[in-house]
Amino acid sequence: MLGLGIESTAHTFSCAVIEKSGKSGKILSDVRKIYKPADGEGIHPREASRHHIENSPQVLSECLNEADVKITDLDLISYAGGPGLGPCLRVGAVVARSLASFYKIPIYPVNHAIGHIELGKLLTGAKNPLVLLVSGGHTMLLAFLNKQWRVFGETLDITLGQLLDQFGRSLGFASPCGRNIEELASSSSNYVQLPYSVKGNDVSFSGLLSATKTVGKQNKADACYSLQETAFAMIAEAVERALSFTQKNELMVVGGVAANKRLSEMLQDVCKRHNSKFFVVPLKYAGDCGSQICWTGLLESQVKKGVSIDKTFVTQSWRLDSVKVEY
Amino acid sequence: MKLLKKGAEADIYQTKWENTNAILKIRKKKTYRNSSLDEKIRKHRTIKESEIISQAKSSGVHTPLVYFVNLKNSSITMQQIPGTPVHDLSPSQITKLSKSIGIAVGKLHKNGIMHGDLTTSNFLYFQKNIYVIDFGLSQNSIKPEDHAVDLRLFKEILNSAHAKIMETCWKNFLSGYSSILGSKYCEKIKILVSEIESRGRYAQVV
Repeated sequence: MLGLGIESTAHTFSCAVIEKSGKSGKILSDVRKIYKPADGEGIHPREASRHHIENSPQVLSECLNEADVKITDLDLISYAGGPGLGPCLRVGAVVARSLASFYKIPIYPVNHAIGHIELGKLLTGAKNPLVLLVSGGHTMLLAFLNKQWRVFGETLDITLGQLLDQFGRSLGFASPCGRNIEELASSSSNYVQLPYSVKGNDVSFSGLLSATKTVGKQNKADACYSLQETAFAMIAEAVERALSFTQKNELMVVGGVAANKRLSEMLQDVCKRHNSKFFVVPLKYAGDCGSQICWTGLLESQVKKGVSIDKTFVTQSWRLDSVKVEY
Repeated sequence: MKLLKKGAEADIYQTKWENTNAILKIRKKKTYRNSSLDEKIRKHRTIKESEIISQAKSSGVHTPLVYFVNLKNSSITMQQIPGTPVHDLSPSQITKLSKSIGIAVGKLHKNGIMHGDLTTSNFLYFQKNIYVIDFGLSQNSIKPEDHAVDLRLFKEILNSAHAKIMETCWKNFLSGYSSILGSKYCEKIKILVSEIESRGRYAQVV
């Protein structure tokens, strides 16, 4: 089966083609264009959607060329139906709808967050993992039970990605700021005390953000180092709690912040202590991409026929623990 | 000493205290954590846990007795409760015991104690009583918001680990809880719980 996936939830517009046979999938192409806001600023939804509109024809044709397939070869099209920024989501949905209705190809709206998890499972080979989803939109600990992904812990306010981005922007970095913070953090080893807030399996980052901004005015490197140490230790502790509660022997990390080496290092240590296998999604597919949407669409096609055009919704708030997974 | 359980933040060993069975809960160094942060967390939690475990006992909640606290290695020696974690019981038993759990949590809150980690593995069922354990994240608080954080966590755990019996468990829990704190306070906390839930990422805001 050949699928086309279209991702446009936030700053990335991406198309990907995957060939699925049995339980295995081969990514034939994954082309992305990423909207870059000015340094020190966040995503402007209107500007981002404009970027997506302008770049969508090129990304789509590059994606098909690279995979060496024609639109008429496709068995299905999937797009990210949410959660994400409304104007951005609509761009991907319009592209998907146009193709699906003109060429009469089955169409599937896909939950973006489930996409991160499913692609992670495909690429890492994890079987039944506790999932840590850390990105700009999510900070969640999940495990699969009774046909649904269940939340065992999450952030009570902002996400890990937002924490890093908002702090980074206050220093004038360009979003996403994770890499800049990681680089600057490695030049310091002076730990400044910051608020540490773990509530059961949940975490809260808003107080940490305000406190780190204050420290950042004195010394940027110390602030970056202390922020990473505190925030990641909170995540690691929540992971430890969830691992010990769920008794899972696999941990899989997906989402944009999975690219951070210090976080990986800490989580590896946690897994060693709990005799769990550690999986982290390959760097190239950690962030938002068409492949995550495409693969999830292909999985859904095993049990569903696709939806009619009038049901091809987009929704900004679509929690992944509300999705029934039948495949 | 025999290792009984490798928990999330501490290791539990079987030990003896004055010739009776006891457990040693030791918060070992975590190498992944910055050492000054690690030190602070382990010390703080050991002190809080031993303090509040005794407070909880005087509030009429079943908890283990604290025998000895050693701040040098962040360890607590306490009474061993040879019960079963509620998490491991049968669904029908969990449903039935939810009311007693609600009563225990109600007593804690009434006496200004927020547990901080109300998962079903932190309640032990022993000799027809519910024992509350693991006060590492506990705080003294009379703030309704903090009490709501406790209840939300318990609800989240029911939703994730005990999804099939969630509705009845939650109902039974609340009936036990309000029998201690009164229905007016219970309603107030329920509203705060949904406020916290609505702050969650991508929650449906009505």
